[in-house]
This record gives sequence, structure tokens and C-alpha cells, in this order.
Amino acid sequence: MSQQQVLEAQSLTVQRGGRPVLHDVSFAVGEGEVFALLGGNGAGKSTTLLTFLGLIEPHQGRAMAFGQDVQGNEDAIRRKAAYLPETASLYAHLNAWENVSYFLELARSPRPRDELSQAFDEVGLPADARDRRLESYSKGMRQKVAIALALLRSVPLLLLDEPTSGLDPVAIDEFNALITALAERGSTVMMVTHDVYGACQVARRVGLLRRGELVGTFEAPPEGMIDADELHRAFARSHAS
Amino acid sequence: MTALVRELRFALSERAVQLIVLIAFAASTAAVIAGIEAVNDQQALIDRLVLATDEERAVAVESASDPGDMAYYAFHLTFAPPSALAFSALGTRDTLPWKHRLRMLALEGQLYESDVGNPELSLSGRLDFAFVVAVLLPLLLIFLLHDGEAGERRAARHDLLRVTATEGRNLFTVRAIARSLLLLAAILIPFLVGAVIQGVGLPGIGVVLGAAALSLVFWLAVCLLTVRRVDAGPTCAISLLGIWLVLAVLLPAGGKLAARNVVEVPQGGELLLTQREAVNDAWDLPKPATMDPFIERHPRWAPYSTVSRPFEWKWYFAFQQVGDQAVEKISTELREGIKQRDRLMGMLSFLSPPLLTERLMTGAAQTDVAAFQRYEDCVRAFHGGLRSYYYPLLFEERPFDDSAKRELPKFSPCAQDSGR
Ligand SMILES: Nc1ncnc2c1ncn2[C@@H]1O[C@H](COP(=O)(O)OP(=O)(O)OP(=O)(O)O)[C@@H](O)[C@H]1O
Ligand SMILES: [Mg+2]
Repeated sequence: MSQQQVLEAQSLTVQRGGRPVLHDVSFAVGEGEVFALLGGNGAGKSTTLLTFLGLIEPHQGRAMAFGQDVQGNEDAIRRKAAYLPETASLYAHLNAWENVSYFLELARSPRPRDELSQAFDEVGLPADARDRRLESYSKGMRQKVAIALALLRSVPLLLLDEPTSGLDPVAIDEFNALITALAERGSTVMMVTHDVYGACQVARRVGLLRRGELVGTFEAPPEGMIDADELHRAFARSHAS
Repeated sequence: MTALVRELRFALSERAVQLIVLIAFAASTAAVIAGIEAVNDQQALIDRLVLATDEERAVAVESASDPGDMAYYAFHLTFAPPSALAFSALGTRDTLPWKHRLRMLALEGQLYESDVGNPELSLSGRLDFAFVVAVLLPLLLIFLLHDGEAGERRAARHDLLRVTATEGRNLFTVRAIARSLLLLAAILIPFLVGAVIQGVGLPGIGVVLGAAALSLVFWLAVCLLTVRRVDAGPTCAISLLGIWLVLAVLLPAGGKLAARNVVEVPQGGELLLTQREAVNDAWDLPKPATMDPFIERHPRWAPYSTVSRPFEWKWYFAFQQVGDQAVEKISTELREGIKQRDRLMGMLSFLSPPLLTERLMTGAAQTDVAAFQRYEDCVRAFHGGLRSYYYPLLFEERPFDDSAKRELPKFSPCAQDSGR
């Protein structure tokens, strides 16, 4: 592969609460690639993302990002990565503008209002909702604000934890288009999900995680998409066994 | 700096912070107003009493035909005027006397007459500004800070904040500092207004700001350390409340109790009774029983000490002074005891920052035990001056004319007591 590896798990083994959660997981995500990690509840998907963010230390093996070991380089890597948490939990007492502005200030990358507005347009957040506090939002609306925030960070790496959860089908389509466009512009995206069909829509490569072990990797053919049915069967099989 | 400004703005957007800051501002304002009112009342009372006593004394002086008459009927008002800062920490001005209506009689009894209720027993739990800074500030700070990190964890925002903020986990420290500053501002603004109204000088303001900052920094550190150690918000709050209870309530109150048990101090009432007995007995005793101990201490009047008539003023005032001599030991014990207790509390204050804060503030406001004892010394010196004035008139029978009357000492507060 001539592509530079943006993310690389090298025999990653992680324990949480004294129990093994990831076991000897290895994979790599190249620049401009969209990679999806698929797995059931408790498979270790979120844990994998948190390890790349340096929030969890590997027990064995290494998590690499941008060619650096995450351990010891957390700050440098976090500056180049946007993280969408599993539960979009922004501040309920602030409106969409205030929330996004505050988090962008935290990252020291403030954006002008028209860019915010554009990002809200892209994720399909209704204009009349933007001035309302998030406490009055539906789950999907909150998710849209969180996605807008991740986009506005304008960083080369997106780590997304179940980004489409709570989104309606139209919003999911819009989101998929957005991610594809971003990747085409060179962004690297790693998302974790249990949505087989959603994963096939955007990802060129899908890793199947089962109880902390990477049990298979599916790659899209050059001019097509991953066969969702085949992936679904593999997912179901891995669960049955 | 930009992070601090950002967090100040953010903190102000939170309803809980707004509420606590408002409570702090209201409590501080109430304490400052109450303090100014108390101090103004005291000053007004002093002014009124000085005027009344002066008028009354003028009549007594005018109508006195001999120095004994004048000494007996002329009252003087002694007082310690409240310092400019007194409004911020009422301290002993709330519990111990700061004015007396005195005449040439035995002094000690007159000094402790107002002390019979033993005001020392009352805890200094009055809502003044010092109480707000020493006791309320830490409590409000605990409310502000205990859930800073735990709350974000509960809201599942902790990870996002940590990876997004360039300062990482220090974000929570910056937040705590921002909230503390808001609290400090809410508490200090009413004080600063009060200080300007009362005409406090910059050094005085500086000491109070320093004491408040000290209190804040200490409690901020306690909160930060506890929050780092304890993950759950409620557990953290309970731990912090425990620390607050020990440092701000139990140690000072327990210390007061312990100091009272360790250091025996005679009651003012005991002194009063002993002196009264000594003075009353003198009436029935043969004259030398009074004059001998008097002359022993004041040999200067020996040549004039013969009392030939059944009643002579010099004998009367001599037994007043002997009455003071009779309670000298009790009086010294009382003064030393109060000083000793205060010294113990001073040592204890290094274990209890709230106590230290309060002591710093009453020290600056001249409302501490030391200031009270300075006032007592001032009164003793004045009363000594009265005796120096009257004794030559009484014993040597120097001419008692208008010019002699004009020499009558007039009380003026001692230097350190004239804060305003
Ligand atoms: N804070 C924690 N402490 C201890 N164990 C944890 C913690 N969080 C998760 N785990 C365990 O780690 C394992 C993997 O959890 P993880 O959250 O990575 O799963 P996931 O694949 O994201 O699942 P889901 O689809 O439900 O989000 C689970 O067995 C879970 O019990
Ligand atoms: Mg998960």
C-alpha cells in the first residue's frame, strides 16, 4: 500500500475493569479511507476508539495514529482528530450556535458564524431550531449538532461512534453522502456501528469485531460497494458461534 | 487567559452558577449593610453619650464646691470608636464592652460591670462580612465545585471535553478557577462599596482582600484535590462538607470550648463582688485599715494621710483605690486568661483556615481581643490620669478654683483605637 497509514492497531489488547475487552486486534486505516468497525453490543467498538484517543491505555500492543504511538502523544493526536461520542451529549442549556462555538473554542479553532450555519445546513439541522436550547431537541437533532461540530473541527481524522444512531433515513443518506465527500477531500474516517447496511453505504472496508477479536475484514470491490447481505450473514454467523 | 475568559463566560451561562453567585452577592451585601448599620449605631451611641456625659459633667463641675464632690459626681465617657474597617468584622465589638461611663470610684468594678452576663460565652456566629468570607465562602465554593468533573462524567461529556480541549484535563482546573473568581467577585464587590462608603484606606482594603484570597485559594485547593480523588459528585460533596464542618465549625467551636477549659479565667462578676465587699467593708473598718495599705502603695501621700473627721473625701477615694488593689490579682488573672485563651485560638487558627481568616480580618478591623485589651489599657491610663489630677487636690488640699477645675482630664480615644 502506497497510502500513508493514519490509524494502525498493532496486536492491540485492552483490559477494562480487569477483564479483557480487546484481544490482539490489528488493522490499519489509510489516508482518505472510510473504515467501519462492525460488531454487536459489548464487542469492544467504543473501546477501540477511546484507545486511539488515548483515553484508554492498551495492555499490550500499540495504537498508532499519524505514525506516532498514541501513548505519550495524546495531545498531538487529539489536535488532529475529531471525536463523535456514542451519546451526543452537548450542553442542554445552550443553543446549537453556543454549543458548537464553545467546543470549537475549547479546541482553539473558532469558526465564523456563516461556517457554522453551513455545517448545520449540511447535517440538516432546521434553521428555526438553531436558536433554541438543546434541551428542547430530539435525539436525532442533538446528534446532528454533534456531527456538525465534528465537521467544523476541520481536522484530518474523524473518529465517529455510531454516528447515525437516532437519525432518520433521509438524514442517514445525507450523512453518508457527507462522509463520502469528506473522504474524497482527503479526510480519514473511522466509524464504529452495528448498522450493517449503513456501514456498507460509506465504508470501503469493514472490520468485524466479535467479543474483542477482529474476526474478519470486508473490502469493497474497486467500482462497487461491500455486499451488505454477505456482511449481514457473516455478522449473524459470528454472533451465533 | 483566553481559556479563563471562555470559562468565565461559560460559567455565567449555567443556572446553578448564577444562583450561587447571586446568593453570595446577596449574603455579602446583607452582611456589609448590617455591619455598616451596627458600626454607625455604635458611633451614634458614642456621640450621643459623649454629649450627654459632657453636659452632665459640666453641671457637676460647675456646682462642685470641693474636689471630692466633683470626683464623685463627674462622670466621663470612655470609648473605643469603631475603626473604618469595623463594619467588615464586628468581632469583639459584638461581645465585649467598648464604652464605659466612669468616675473616680474604684475602676475595676466599673470596667467589668457590663461584663456580668459573661458575653464571652456567645459564639461569634454573627452574620458579618468576616463570617461570609470565612464560613460561607467555602460552603458556596463547595456547591460550585464538587460536581465539576463528576457532573460531566454523568452527562457522558467528559471524554469529549478531554479530547477536544487543548488544555485536556486541566480544563476542569481552569473551570474551577473561573467559578471561584466569580464567587470571589460576588463577595468582594459589596465589601468594596462598603469600604468606600466607610472611608477605609488602601492598606485596610488590602488586608481584607488578602484574607479573602487566602480563604479562596485554600478551599479551591481542597476542592480540586478532593474532586481529583473522588469520582462521584455526591460522595465528593459529602467529603468536602465534612472537611468544611471540621475546619469551619468544629475546630473553632471546639477550640473555644477547650481554651475555656484549659485556661481558667475568673468571671467579671466575681471581680465585681470582691471589690464591692472590699469597698463596703471599708466603711466599718478603722481608718488606718484603709490608709495603711493605701500609703504603702502611694507613699507620696503619707504626709497627708491622717483622717481626723468621720468622713473625708481623701479617705473615701483611698478606699476606692484599695478596692482596686484588692482585686488586682483577679483582674490580672482575668486579663492574662483572656490573652492566653486568645493565644491558644491563635495557634489553633493555623489548623483552621476559616478561623485564621476571621482573625486576620478582626485584627485589621481592630475588633479582636488585642484591640479590646488595648481599649481597657487606655481606660486604665485615663483613670490613672484622673487620680493624678484629684489626689493633689484631695490630699494636699491645693486651691480648688476655676483654673484647677479646667485642668480636669478629658477622655480621648487612644491612638490605635481612633481608626476613623
Ligand atoms: N467503563 C468501563 N469499565 C469496565 N468495563 C467496561 C467499561 N466500559 C465498557 N466496558 C466493557 O468493555 C466491553 C466493550 O465495551 P464497548 O463499550 O467497547 O462495547 P461496544 O462495542 O461499543 O458496545 P455497544 O455497541 O453496546 O456500544 C464490554 O464488555 C463492557 O462491559
Ligand atoms: Mg459502544
